[in-house]
Amino acid sequence: MPLLKRVYDWIDLRIGAREVVKQELTGYLLPRNINEWYSLGSVLLVIFALQVVTGMLLLVYYVPDADKAFKSVSYIMNELPYGWLIRLCHAVGSNMMVAVLFLHMLSTLFMGSYKSPRELNWLTGFTIFALVQAISLTGYLLPWSQLSFWATTVATNSASAIPVIGPYMVEFLRGGKLVGPPTLGRFFALHVAVIPAVIVALIGLHLFVLKRTGISTPPFGAKGEAKTWPGDVYRHESHPGGIPFLPNYALTDLSSISIYFALFLAVVFFAPNLLFTADSFVPANAFKTPAHIKPEWYFLANYQTLKIFPSELLGISIQAAAGTFLALLPFIDRSRERDPFRRPIFLACVIAGILLWFGLTIWGHYS
Amino acid sequence: MENESRRKFLGVCAAGAAVVAAGGVAYPVFRYLAPKAGETGTEKVVFAETDVPEGEAKFFQYAGSSAVVVRTKAGQLIALSAVCTHLGCIVQWEKDQQDFLCPCHAGRYTPDGTVISGPPPKPLAKLPVAVAEGKITVG
Ligand code: HEM
Ligand code: FES
Repeated sequence: MPLLKRVYDWIDLRIGAREVVKQELTGYLLPRNINEWYSLGSVLLVIFALQVVTGMLLLVYYVPDADKAFKSVSYIMNELPYGWLIRLCHAVGSNMMVAVLFLHMLSTLFMGSYKSPRELNWLTGFTIFALVQAISLTGYLLPWSQLSFWATTVATNSASAIPVIGPYMVEFLRGGKLVGPPTLGRFFALHVAVIPAVIVALIGLHLFVLKRTGISTPPFGAKGEAKTWPGDVYRHESHPGGIPFLPNYALTDLSSISIYFALFLAVVFFAPNLLFTADSFVPANAFKTPAHIKPEWYFLANYQTLKIFPSELLGISIQAAAGTFLALLPFIDRSRERDPFRRPIFLACVIAGILLWFGLTIWGHYS
Repeated sequence: MENESRRKFLGVCAAGAAVVAAGGVAYPVFRYLAPKAGETGTEKVVFAETDVPEGEAKFFQYAGSSAVVVRTKAGQLIALSAVCTHLGCIVQWEKDQQDFLCPCHAGRYTPDGTVISGPPPKPLAKLPVAVAEGKITVG
């Protein structure tokens, strides 16, 4: 240990490491009534890092070629030592990431932390959310199984309902009239290079914005701490007398991360086939559509919405409107009150929205 | 004091758990990335005697590496590793000169692997070779 301390002293002397730790960690004070929901952002950082690492490992053996992709994935799953573990971590992790993103969004929604002055936190977060869906969609095609091939066909097809440019957009997206080898090339590039780079940049921006506005005070619990911001000059919301991030809140972050890992590894080890159907084990065949092709669970609500409207254009417009509404929520909902229990209409809308989403998802699953 | 030793005990437990977890991650990743055993195995390589006419050489994969069989003008059959003993390039057979040339730094070897000139410190490694019923077997 004395050696470690001497190394630390040596570094500290040069870059003032202790000062940084004091400012950013032990001296970074959080509101006294902070709750567990604020740790979901850290959980997401861990999940994203794990996706990056397992993705890099998969790249060692995966071959992005329509004739070889399926074989290379089977090889990873069946022949390479622990290949199944790495692939399952990546596949299960992507689904968990979407689920935790939903929770993170819902918690910031519920506690009203999207409100002014945190519009940018919400906007950057919402963009990340859209990109995580895009990275999941593009990754889904890569195993080149019947499931990936036809789910991608169905998912890309819905954009053709957009008037005038829709059909060409779909062709451009696929690199041809139908999903085929050119689609694999562009989805691969998007999945491993383009989208991850943009997500990393946006996570950086998300955290930067968070740092500049300061973390919000939860709207319940100890009252009177939150000061309303008049909106005239820039103000960093600090929490004098609050609890330090290190060690106190770091421990909460760690417990949330541990709970997450327990759930995540439970799926990986005890329900590894949760995400796969029989069509995941058959190589893609462009001349044979399997019955009952469905998108992944988090797209089921969108999929069902498209199905219930008589015209695809109507279905897509409604979804675009709902998405835009949600993205711009901080600009639409401008009241100062953040406590959901003092905003019955807002609370009712959120609950109705969640129920609607669940309803559509279940309907989509069984339809 | 009571608190001190408790803190130390917990710290050791946490560090121990962290080391076990790190090992649990590192081992599968190492196994996943480790080259496959068996690809460096020593299966015999067999081909027809007519593949190697007098004064010519045949290159092939052997035991996960490159090897060569030459038949000298005198009719002698020799099997060698084709990996140059200098920095590991693959030697070429020079039919006119009847010797091996390493293109990397101009090392030269006789058909039986002895160094003629250039930087290679050692002769090319010899491999066991046998001829029976018109077939050449290396290994
Ligand atoms: C990879 C995805 C994401 C990561 C890694 C991430 C990370 C974080 C972190 C570390 C925090 C600070 C701690 C916390 O409150 O949890 C935070 C706060 C926040 N995030 Fe995210 N986030 C992501 C996606 C999103 C999404 C999709 C939204 C909503 C559309 C969003 C909205 C917010 C808001 C409004 C805050 C401010 C919370 C406050 O100050 O109380 N984030 N995020
Ligand atoms: S590697 Fe062959 S001569 Fe240098």
